[in-house]
Amino acid sequence: MINDVGAMMVWLILSIAVFAWSAPAAAQTRAGEKEWNAVVEAAKKEGKVVVAGSPDPVMRNEVIPRFKERYGIPVEFIAGRSSEIAARVRAERGSGIYSVDVYLAGPDTTAVTLYGEKLIDALKPLLVMPEVADGSKWKQGKIWFADPEERFAVRAFSSVATLMFINTDQVRPDEMRAAKDLLNSKWRGKISTEDPTTTGSGSNAAARFYHDFGEEFVRKLYIEQKAVRTRDRRQMSDWLARGIQPICLSCREDDVRPLIRDGFKILEIFSLSDMPASINGSPWMLTVANKAPNPKAAQLFANWILSREGLGIYARGYGSVSLRTDIDESSLNPGNLPKKSVKYFDDTDWSWIVTGRQENREKVWQVLKGK
Amino acid sequence: MSVPATPIDLPRAKFRLRPMRAAEIALLLLLAVLMGLPLLFLLTGSFNLAAPGKPAVYGLDNWLRAFNDPATLGALWMSFLLSLARLAPAIVIGVLFAWLIARTDMPGGNAIEFFCWVAYFIPDFPLTLAWILLLDPNYGFLNALARHLPLVDAPLFNPYSFWGIVWVHTSAGGIWFKVILLTPVFRRLGAALEEAARVAGASTATMLRRVTIPLLAPMILAVSVLSFIRGLQSFNTELLLGTPAGIYVYSTRIYDYIHREPASYGEATALGAVFILALGALLFFYWRYLRGRRQFTVVTGQGYSTLRVKLGKWRWAALAGCLLYIAVMTVLPLIFLVIGSFMRRYGFFNIPAPFTLAHWRDLLSDPIFFSSLKNSVIIASITAAGGVLLYSTVAYLLVSRRAIAAPFLEGLCWLPHILPGILLGLGILWLFLATPLRFVFYGTVWGIALALIVGDSPVTTQAFRAGFLQLGADLEEAARVTGASWWYAYRRILLPLLAPIAGAVGLMNFGSALGSISTPVLLYSHQSRPLAILLLEYSVTGELERGAALGLLITALICALMLIGRRLGLQLSGLR
Repeated sequence: MINDVGAMMVWLILSIAVFAWSAPAAAQTRAGEKEWNAVVEAAKKEGKVVVAGSPDPVMRNEVIPRFKERYGIPVEFIAGRSSEIAARVRAERGSGIYSVDVYLAGPDTTAVTLYGEKLIDALKPLLVMPEVADGSKWKQGKIWFADPEERFAVRAFSSVATLMFINTDQVRPDEMRAAKDLLNSKWRGKISTEDPTTTGSGSNAAARFYHDFGEEFVRKLYIEQKAVRTRDRRQMSDWLARGIQPICLSCREDDVRPLIRDGFKILEIFSLSDMPASINGSPWMLTVANKAPNPKAAQLFANWILSREGLGIYARGYGSVSLRTDIDESSLNPGNLPKKSVKYFDDTDWSWIVTGRQENREKVWQVLKGK
Repeated sequence: MSVPATPIDLPRAKFRLRPMRAAEIALLLLLAVLMGLPLLFLLTGSFNLAAPGKPAVYGLDNWLRAFNDPATLGALWMSFLLSLARLAPAIVIGVLFAWLIARTDMPGGNAIEFFCWVAYFIPDFPLTLAWILLLDPNYGFLNALARHLPLVDAPLFNPYSFWGIVWVHTSAGGIWFKVILLTPVFRRLGAALEEAARVAGASTATMLRRVTIPLLAPMILAVSVLSFIRGLQSFNTELLLGTPAGIYVYSTRIYDYIHREPASYGEATALGAVFILALGALLFFYWRYLRGRRQFTVVTGQGYSTLRVKLGKWRWAALAGCLLYIAVMTVLPLIFLVIGSFMRRYGFFNIPAPFTLAHWRDLLSDPIFFSSLKNSVIIASITAAGGVLLYSTVAYLLVSRRAIAAPFLEGLCWLPHILPGILLGLGILWLFLATPLRFVFYGTVWGIALALIVGDSPVTTQAFRAGFLQLGADLEEAARVTGASWWYAYRRILLPLLAPIAGAVGLMNFGSALGSISTPVLLYSHQSRPLAILLLEYSVTGELERGAALGLLITALICALMLIGRRLGLQLSGLR
């Protein structure tokens, strides 16, 4: 009897403890769901959401149909190069027209134009979808806001970037262990790069080289080594596969990986002994426009794109490593997955984008002009 | 042609001039708004030094920065040399083709003309890649063939060079642009003067040099000026073939300023202003040459014959020469382009299962393909029809002795030619947004079409101008004397005579509207999204094969319309 009473007491105390612990969380969840449902209903009344960003087949072919299917709200996607989108938005705003709700833009556009020119609203208070607001769903324990105020621009991806590609028919992996190996006269005329004299991945890489190794290295690599420049991304990967320029500094993973699958002996190099591996936030950063014409639909889309479903589409589509904990990464290239033990150079770091890269790029251009 | 026979009424005839003057003033105002204001906005903006969104601060810094760059002058010189090197052979070949097609009894002239049209609309970016596959020193098909020749132990061809760029341009739109514009005016050339030259003992070459070409000088000169400026602005081919060889052109500099982060439109406009100087200089000589313009009249009411020059045994040689040129310069790269659209990876024949239908299937099953196609066809139709109506009227006024503002009208019509497409689009965007025009045009198919019509003004106006210069004033005067209104005479006499030119420039503008990316990109909305935005996507994301498929689809569409339009034009002009 005493044992029964004791057991009952223990059960009662445990029950009270569990209830006391879970009730506020449950209430919070219910409140969050209620708030989220209110957002969904308000967004449906607005009837559409306008998203602006770079031309993006994943957006067009997968995101737009899936979002419409989920919420019945059409997505109008305005695609253009960053500079074109920025010019258009500025001109519209100058005339009092506010047509865009959400931007999915590259880090430079986000930092320099959207944030720099105050075209966006704080996103942090808008992220209320339970699975998005829940810090346990994010690798860093919370959503990563990249801007200095940590409120405006969400970084949703962090993948290890490829530093270069080599064609192993012509370049043995042990011949390319350090960045300084690029200066071996054996590789003169054998290195391709996107044109470093204009903005883009070519000048970004050159800025990084300048930052890490200084002016002399850049002069030797781009001028003395006669690095072959192009403005066409496919040209570089074609040269790489054919072995014409068996070292590629600016090839895109999505151009090269099909070649690797087709049996071309191409190796991705993620780190070098004298150059830390880098991570980046490709393919986009998320922001919401201020004075958005469809603010609730913008909020709904921003939350959904950060959900497991939304980011999962991009992770699969681009092979990018998302910052969510609940997305299957088994299909991703293991080389792109950041390791906790490694300290990476962050190519999407805000201060690097706004000042560091810009300054180093200008120095590179001076070196290349003065050849 | 039946003309209502009403008695001549002098007071009414005098009154009829007034609508002409009103039309002239209205056109002048319209063109000033459409052509002048965007340029004015851009020029004003180029002096604004303030950051976007901040109050304007004016100064010369953008201009100084743009021109202080030592690379700018080098690039300008390279553009000048390339443009000149392209123009010389292209104008000779273009005139020869047009003459053979339109003025001689060479067999298969219509088929050759059809091929010229097809060639003109082949998208230049994949075509350049096709030439790389053919000429690359390491793996080019023609270089591989050449290695089997005796004494050849090094690559014969190299597309990554000055002459490689000239060669590819000679294959791409440049020559065909000239043939398309020159053929209708050659066709319209009366045979009387040529027959007189023959009777006087002139050989075919002398007749061509001393009679035919001087008679067609307005169009040949206009086409040369247009081509030279187009050459200065040329971009895609130089980007692909020039950059690896360290050849930078002026338009690359402008492109770099536009696509910077943030974009430097001020510097880009400053660099673009050089085109104003180049155009001004060229137009000065052009106008001087055309002074006393009625010497170019070849179609009058006093007997008109379009009998063709008989080439005798040379007619087959001429046909063989044309076919050989087309085979080498167009069919060969076109074959590679068509094959490329069916390849998993363009130019890679050694990968497993290299051929696929996936690019065509993906293109046609794209959720926005058909709505974009519909928008594009609407935009292109409005552009073609609107351009023909507007610029034929402008050209009529330009050659009319009654127009008092002809130099201003013509100057305005040339303005859009000096702006790269993206700057023109930006200027038009500012125009729409700064005026009530935005309620009708911004974000609509009408707005995109209007911007494209503006961009088409130089070519279309000059084509009609040259056409009108060929027509004798007596044709219209005869109609007016018998009581026809100006509009009646214009509609029933002049326009049918100009139908081949209208057909040619209308189709050319239709095709350009389908493929133009840079102008609509700032003006479209979700509802008016054209196919060109898909082309942009394929270009940015490196989907070359799908881009080739879309380019070929657009070319096929234009060819189908061309066959219909040409038949219609020839019927209207009474040549069939």
